[in-house]
Amino acid sequence: MKLKSIASATLLAVGLTASFSTFAADKPVIEVWTMSLSPKFDGYFKDLVGKYNAQNPGVEVKWTDYPWDVIQAKFTAAVGAGKPPALVNLNVPWAYDYKQDGLIQPVDAIINKTQFVKGALADVTFEGKTYAFPHYNGANVIAYNKDIFARAGLKAAPKTFDDQLSFAKAIKAKTGVAGFAPTLGPTKIEGFFIQNGLDVVKGGKAAFNSPAHVAMMKKLADAYKAGALLKDNLFAQDNFQVQMQAYNAGKMAMLVSTPASLTRIRDEAPVLYKATAVAAAPVGPTGIASGGWMFNFAVAKNVDKALLPEVGKFANYLTNDANQLAFSKLAGTLPTSGKAAKDPHFQTVAAPGGAVEKAVAVAASSLDSTRTIFLSGVKDPEVLSNKLAAAVEQAVTGRKDPKAALDEAVAFWNSKL
Amino acid sequence: MEKTLPMPLAATAKKINMNKLAKHTLHYLVLTLLAVITVYPFWWTLVTALSTSGDVFTYPPRMWPENPGLDNFIEVFKTIDVIAFYKNSIIISVLTVAGTLLVCSMAAYPLARMQFPGRNIVFGAILATMILPSEVNFLVNFITVSKLGMGDTYTGVVLPGLAGAVGIFLMKQAFEAVPNDLVDAARVDGATEWQIFWHIMLPLARPALAALTILTLVAAWNQYIWPSIVMASPDKFPLSVGVLYLSGAFSFKIRVVAAGAVLTVLPILMVFLFTQRYFLRGFDGAVK
Amino acid sequence: MSASKKNTLQAWLFLTPALLLLMAFSFWPVGFGSYLAFTQYNLIDAPVWVGLDNFRELFEDELFISALQNSALYLLVVPAIQVLAILLAVLVNNQLPGIKFYRAAYYLPVVTTVSVIGVIWNFMYTDDGALNAVLRWLHVINEPIGWLSDDRIALFSVMFVTIWRGLGWYMVLYLAGLQSVPQDVYEAAVLDGANAWQRFWKITVPLLMPTILLCSVMSMLAAVKCFEEVQIMTKGGPMQSTYTALFYAYEFGIKSLNFGRALAASLVMSVFCVALAWLNFRYLQPRKK
Repeated sequence: MKLKSIASATLLAVGLTASFSTFAADKPVIEVWTMSLSPKFDGYFKDLVGKYNAQNPGVEVKWTDYPWDVIQAKFTAAVGAGKPPALVNLNVPWAYDYKQDGLIQPVDAIINKTQFVKGALADVTFEGKTYAFPHYNGANVIAYNKDIFARAGLKAAPKTFDDQLSFAKAIKAKTGVAGFAPTLGPTKIEGFFIQNGLDVVKGGKAAFNSPAHVAMMKKLADAYKAGALLKDNLFAQDNFQVQMQAYNAGKMAMLVSTPASLTRIRDEAPVLYKATAVAAAPVGPTGIASGGWMFNFAVAKNVDKALLPEVGKFANYLTNDANQLAFSKLAGTLPTSGKAAKDPHFQTVAAPGGAVEKAVAVAASSLDSTRTIFLSGVKDPEVLSNKLAAAVEQAVTGRKDPKAALDEAVAFWNSKL
Repeated sequence: MEKTLPMPLAATAKKINMNKLAKHTLHYLVLTLLAVITVYPFWWTLVTALSTSGDVFTYPPRMWPENPGLDNFIEVFKTIDVIAFYKNSIIISVLTVAGTLLVCSMAAYPLARMQFPGRNIVFGAILATMILPSEVNFLVNFITVSKLGMGDTYTGVVLPGLAGAVGIFLMKQAFEAVPNDLVDAARVDGATEWQIFWHIMLPLARPALAALTILTLVAAWNQYIWPSIVMASPDKFPLSVGVLYLSGAFSFKIRVVAAGAVLTVLPILMVFLFTQRYFLRGFDGAVK
Repeated sequence: MSASKKNTLQAWLFLTPALLLLMAFSFWPVGFGSYLAFTQYNLIDAPVWVGLDNFRELFEDELFISALQNSALYLLVVPAIQVLAILLAVLVNNQLPGIKFYRAAYYLPVVTTVSVIGVIWNFMYTDDGALNAVLRWLHVINEPIGWLSDDRIALFSVMFVTIWRGLGWYMVLYLAGLQSVPQDVYEAAVLDGANAWQRFWKITVPLLMPTILLCSVMSMLAAVKCFEEVQIMTKGGPMQSTYTALFYAYEFGIKSLNFGRALAASLVMSVFCVALAWLNFRYLQPRKK
């Protein structure tokens, strides 16, 4: 019977179109969601929030961490139900998507812009408006297997992408192992082009069929044919997991990734970790370091307007110099606050001086040139990106003439732009 | 005659035994081969979780743990509150299974055994929910659940999934197989529909109920998106969501994640191992 | 009250809990979802009616067309799963020593968490993975096969994982179905000299028909709506060869919040599903005596 009464109540409520407004608590609550930081940072956040609540008796900040796998669905559902968190932890492409769909709002009025480095602010500024508070950042380094390098007669890390390609071919020829795996899949391929100084869109038109683009395709095709690139998931949206597996199994010589992710080599392949060296990731002609991946805090569009100043105040506190520095030290990431980035912590190699610690120092040195690169400002980016990625796949695998493949994708893009 | 008979008989018996043996060997060979394919991924996870050193991804894949130990399991217990998550999983699963069995079999009974106007329309509508787009169900249902004040509650997690088309379909099939004369006899004796349902139908549909139990249990135990949306407080999460905290942004250790996966799967596997005889009932007597 | 009226009332009473729940948590969101397929909707503002725009965009997208084709091709897993699951159920439907553990072994893939399945099968399928290693060792192949990196094979590799995952699930249903096959029929058949194969075809299969119907409908819907395997293994690649219709809906709808498009895609799929379900009932429904 209880079931029935609950179910009939359900029916009633479904019939009601008016939504109930929640009763205002005596103290406004600022709900903050972070992504996949618990339990490692429980102490850090409890401390930070505790201090803030003590100093600001007028509000109550409530911090909760949700795993990466569920936070998007949870945030979407919370916004839909009219009960969004005040601040939600996002990465840049997610922030852009939510902005496009009108689920988050500009924070220009409440953000203290002076505390952030320019590149970080630019990452979350879309069409002239800033949509989030920058938090921590990542930048790529290149980790390489010294044993494989030695067998291939190579001594130092590659400096440019061209170096990387020729190294990879030498490695394949001498050792039979793949050199590395570029990220050529949908939603990643645009970043690959942009970082290598090749325009994707120029003047509102698709621009990726210039001779320079074609030449790049030919270089890649050449390396692919020689077996120098790791084939598994090469054209998938995300080939990081297979890259990690291949590197850790000694089946790939170079891994371009963030310092924090190198801990996986340490844990999963301890012997190989000792033979791993680290250097700055090859920089393209643009001078932009690859692999920038900034996390930030955004404000949902239907957050109570009256609460916004308080939300801003807390967000500025959460991302200030001292708090960012402490976080970066704990996490091995890079800060987005200007003063924190100049701290000696990022200029020297911390103990025990393994590849992971070296990587932090190496990555910090390229912080100024770190940007999160992705395609923005086009309608239906997924459809376009898929088309481009398919064309690149055809060109690189030699199924189609590179020029013809890119031309076809350009025509498709221009019909949509 | 009497003295010559045993010889060929014994030979025949032996031959039959040999035949049987060969047949059984073949039987086991096929069974084992298939088992290797289905078990291997879990075996790999177990080996990874039990290894305390060495490389995780080796070619060819490792068959036995290196330096076996429970370190990774201990780390899981240190990192997340496994006991609390288990408790939540058990509450959600038990409520889901009990509710599903009751609601689905009640709905299936009239569909299978009673004539009434609208029967086909109702059954068609139920089937349609299997087919029509359900991609935004989670969103709309979350709005419904929070308006009913069931956000952050077990009821909110469990209720939306109870009346499933698969369950109703399965129970309907089972009820249809119950012989008519049993029901007719009961009716002659003046039994009410509820008595027929409760005392005749349900006991005879036990294999189907047991099968529905094990299928529902797995789904309830493994779901993670929906409970994570409904529950606001992480301490109310089931284990399927809780283990996701093991793959944090800066603390991803594959061996610990593997140990978490093993801890999630084991209870269900145990339940399956010890309850299978229920959906094989009626068979026990027949074999001997 | 007349007997038939009383009967009707009782029938509806039995149905009430399920119908209330279905109305609140299935019909309502499904109906609302179908409506959204004709709108543009972003969760905060009211949905805007756009008529058939979402459908037009869909059919102009060749990726959606090929995703639909892949979903249709995916139906190949249905007979494979069903035949194997029936055989498996028959093989374990006995009291041989240790058979319990075999049943549990076949059920293991069903309980294994999705993320683990992704890691393992990616690992099995790589160029240097276990599968190629075994085939090379057996001298079946000389060059590694790109199970997930060759666009001519990838979809089939993904399908295999679906079969692998589904076997145990359907085995349980068939085992339950087998319990309703009366043992004396078999004994009579043995006395009549029918061999195991004849008994299987003449007795087991016809008596299992209701279960076969149930399982093949479920398995067809699951095949057409296949999504998880693609998500964890190939994300639609290589060369977009493993895009399925629901993966398309997920990628372009749920992930980027274009609900209208996603729901239009699933509504198109639903049409196929209805047709398939109807065919099943038409040809597999046992004749009532």
